[in-house]
Amino acid sequence: MSKLNRWFLALALLIAFLPELAQAQSGLPDAGALASQNLRGYTHMFIAYFIAWGLILGWVVSIARRLGRVEKALRE
Amino acid sequence: MSGKIRWSGAVLGILGLALVLVVHWQVFYWVSTERTMGVVQRIFYIHVPAAWVAFMAFGIVAVCSAVYLWLEDERLDMAALAAAEGGMLFTSIVLLTGPLWGRVAWGTWWTWEPRLTLTLLLFFIYLGYFLVRSSTENSERGKRFAAVVGIVGALEIPLIHVSVQFFRSLHPEPVVMTPEGPSLPGDMLTTLFTGLAAFTLLFLAFFLFRYGLERMKRALAHRQLAGDGVPLPEGVSS
Repeated sequence: MSKLNRWFLALALLIAFLPELAQAQSGLPDAGALASQNLRGYTHMFIAYFIAWGLILGWVVSIARRLGRVEKALRE
Repeated sequence: MSGKIRWSGAVLGILGLALVLVVHWQVFYWVSTERTMGVVQRIFYIHVPAAWVAFMAFGIVAVCSAVYLWLEDERLDMAALAAAEGGMLFTSIVLLTGPLWGRVAWGTWWTWEPRLTLTLLLFFIYLGYFLVRSSTENSERGKRFAAVVGIVGALEIPLIHVSVQFFRSLHPEPVVMTPEGPSLPGDMLTTLFTGLAAFTLLFLAFFLFRYGLERMKRALAHRQLAGDGVPLPEGVSS
């Protein structure tokens, strides 16, 4: 299995088990949690943007590294 | 990589990056905050564009795969592979940013409601696309099997789109593609369209680079098969 496929498989397992972990947490947020709703919104928003750009950057770096390797091999 | 692909990719990438800067300024400084959900609603401006790009990518996979099965042109298989990789990336973004919004808006990270479940299924179908491709001894057969998976997977996209209307669903209903027209306020709609344009341009840029990479990998593999004795670099398979 190629390196890329291993990455996709690891990501798939993470996504598949994330809901199960989430469901293990019970109940609705209490009053205190609701009071901190706004702050939590900021945290979740920044994490979402961080994940999105992190994944895109990771793909770009992966393409650049693979391109570099193939170009080097073609030159040799 | 041909100069044409490199230059086209670079131009699209620069335009996409410029729009990314604009959309971040809009998201963090300009657009108004949604009244009931608060700031977490701003995840919408990356979640929806990522979903749009993922569906577009899988649409490209399906079209290229169908024509590949008909004409057996290697370039179509390379384009399908490049688009599938991008589609997987953007589906991952959708599946990871959605629960972050859902935790605040719904009080849960995940629920097995139709749209979420179908999107997760789409992710696994295209994971299968890569597994099928690399799991056969005969690479030509692997490409044909993968093409079939690519076509079948894309048939799910319209179902995902209509799932919130035809099934009981927690997921918000469409706010842009409705018969009455967009129901979003003007500033939110502008930010959303900027995000859609930015993600689309970035995807097309990286798609071109990934396609160019695939062409070079196969050229290298052919040279090796032809007996030039050029070794395949680490992490590069034929």
